[in-house]
Amino acid sequence: MDRQKTMLPIPDNVAEIEDYMKRRIGLGDSFDLGVRKIKILKKDVHLYYTNGLCDTSFIMRILMEIVHINDNEKYSSQLEKIVENRTIHQSVEIVETMDEVVDQVLSGLIAIIVDGETEALIVDTRSYPGRQPEEPDTEKVVRGSRDGFVENIIINTALTRRRIRDERLRFEMNKVGERSKTDIAIAYVKDIADEDLLDIIRKEIKSINVDGLTMADKAVEEFIVKQGYNPYPVVRYTERADVAATHLLEGHILIYVDTSPSVIITPTTYFHHVQHAEEYRQSAAVGTFIRWTRFFGILASIFLLPLWMLFVLQPDLLPDKISYIGPNDKSSVPVLVQIFLADLGIEFLRIAAIHTPTPLSTAMGLIAAVLIGQIAVDVGLFIPEVILYVSIASVGTFATPSYELSAANKIARTFLLIIVAIFKVPGMVIGTTIFILFLAQMRSLNTPYLWPLLPFNFRAFMQILVRRSTPGSKIRPSIVHPRNRYKQPT
Amino acid sequence: MQKAKLEQNQHAKPISASVNAVLTGFVGGLFWSALGLLAYYFHFTEIRPNMILEPWALGAWKTKWLGTVISLIVIGLFGIGAALLYYIALRKFRTIWIGIGYGAILFALVFFVLNPLFPSLNPLHDLNYNTIITTLCLYILFGVFVGYSISYEYNEQNFRKHHEDKDNESLKTV
Repeated sequence: MDRQKTMLPIPDNVAEIEDYMKRRIGLGDSFDLGVRKIKILKKDVHLYYTNGLCDTSFIMRILMEIVHINDNEKYSSQLEKIVENRTIHQSVEIVETMDEVVDQVLSGLIAIIVDGETEALIVDTRSYPGRQPEEPDTEKVVRGSRDGFVENIIINTALTRRRIRDERLRFEMNKVGERSKTDIAIAYVKDIADEDLLDIIRKEIKSINVDGLTMADKAVEEFIVKQGYNPYPVVRYTERADVAATHLLEGHILIYVDTSPSVIITPTTYFHHVQHAEEYRQSAAVGTFIRWTRFFGILASIFLLPLWMLFVLQPDLLPDKISYIGPNDKSSVPVLVQIFLADLGIEFLRIAAIHTPTPLSTAMGLIAAVLIGQIAVDVGLFIPEVILYVSIASVGTFATPSYELSAANKIARTFLLIIVAIFKVPGMVIGTTIFILFLAQMRSLNTPYLWPLLPFNFRAFMQILVRRSTPGSKIRPSIVHPRNRYKQPT
Repeated sequence: MQKAKLEQNQHAKPISASVNAVLTGFVGGLFWSALGLLAYYFHFTEIRPNMILEPWALGAWKTKWLGTVISLIVIGLFGIGAALLYYIALRKFRTIWIGIGYGAILFALVFFVLNPLFPSLNPLHDLNYNTIITTLCLYILFGVFVGYSISYEYNEQNFRKHHEDKDNESLKTV
């Protein structure tokens, strides 16, 4: 409210406005800001624009129409109304302060100002540089829609609206960031989403006070959930429009941030990170099978290496039937060091693969396979078992659908490895207990992290274990506190 | 008739807090004793879940795999008892520490008070370190599982009731 008062009203003289624009946004200094001056019925009309953010062909059509006023009209007393009427565009807004004019022009809209008037016409001719929706790299499916979110919030909300035509779907826009003025939309379905959670999210977004959100959704997440140095992801991201729509219908609240192709899903639990759209594109039985296989992979990525390490240290723990497990060869390097070295090698590979151009990455893969694999064994640095178990654990990491979760699990695994190496069996047992208790006590936006396992909810847990068919899953998950529990009205 | 058979026409009833406590206790007993079996298999602990059948004179099968399956189920049934006890006495506490404490108390109960019931169970000071630590951790995890779940569900249902009242009120005023 206070800011409203301090805003500058539009002066009734175009020269004064131009002067102001020169001082305030550097018109004339910055090459991408421009003003087009035309004379209509002997009055000055100025058109402010930002190069590159608006579509020239629309602006030309509008200008043509406005210039035609000279041929068709005689009296200039009502000029602004005539111009407004002649502006052939569906989205025309009248503003009365210079601050709004500046904001809108810098967002890519054009401002048409008629001399002698204290109003400006804002026409939405935005056209941002961007790409077309394409399948996101991180969430590929064999079957299913291939349109993923892009960096443009308008396209992203449109992709969602395409899937939910419900009149109760809401996108609440906010502008955040003192300098960046980033658009953030809170999406929810009005009669399903939990009002309390909505209030929390609104409040948290309003209270973000920062100059810019260049890292978009990640920065917003850090402001909202405040997780500190806890490695576990407390919100889920998706780049798939169908996944986003599913969560909206389940009663989740989504946060769209402009300039990011992923949206934030809240509230999230651990088990949201171990599901994947692919399971829902296959039959229920196949989906369940995929899911179980994935669970084993994720468990292996955390517990396999510490457990094997324990058996190397204490071979007498092994039952007789599988006592062959364990190193057959001796190496002069301690096994723990070998595991860490091999793990580090895989980490090198992974990090390198992210920013290596595709032609080089094939070569890199070859070198790495030969280097870490065969040669390291041949020179006696690694024993073959280390390579085997580290590889299985790494593949388990890659099988984790959520990249954030797989990274966090890696840290948990390292913690368990060290504690096992020092304390052996008690280390393994107490370490695992602490790990589970740590996850159980975590809360993200008032949601217990290990729900529905701990706290246990039988029905929801069965939904995790078994991928139910769509007609069979009738209830929205209670964790989102849906205002309407039933997905399938009867 | 035809319509009622369709999967989507069956209505799912909400589970009451006490039924949820029973379910939680059973699944908790089953799950953590299965983990205990795994721990026994890898020699983390000397105590096998089958120990639960010792007070009863049964056939030789009680140490075989059938005995193992039945002991897991029996432990599940005892889990129901533990869960109901928690539901009656402690459900109002929200913190996870009460669950941890509850697990530790159950451990003490079994290993100090009920110890004479199990002939093969040595007194605590005769058990090795690994066994004590593993068993204690399993009891603590069971305690948290049961305690945290029941407290959460109890608070949830209160919250839901409170909310429905609020929703109804807001509807009335419209």
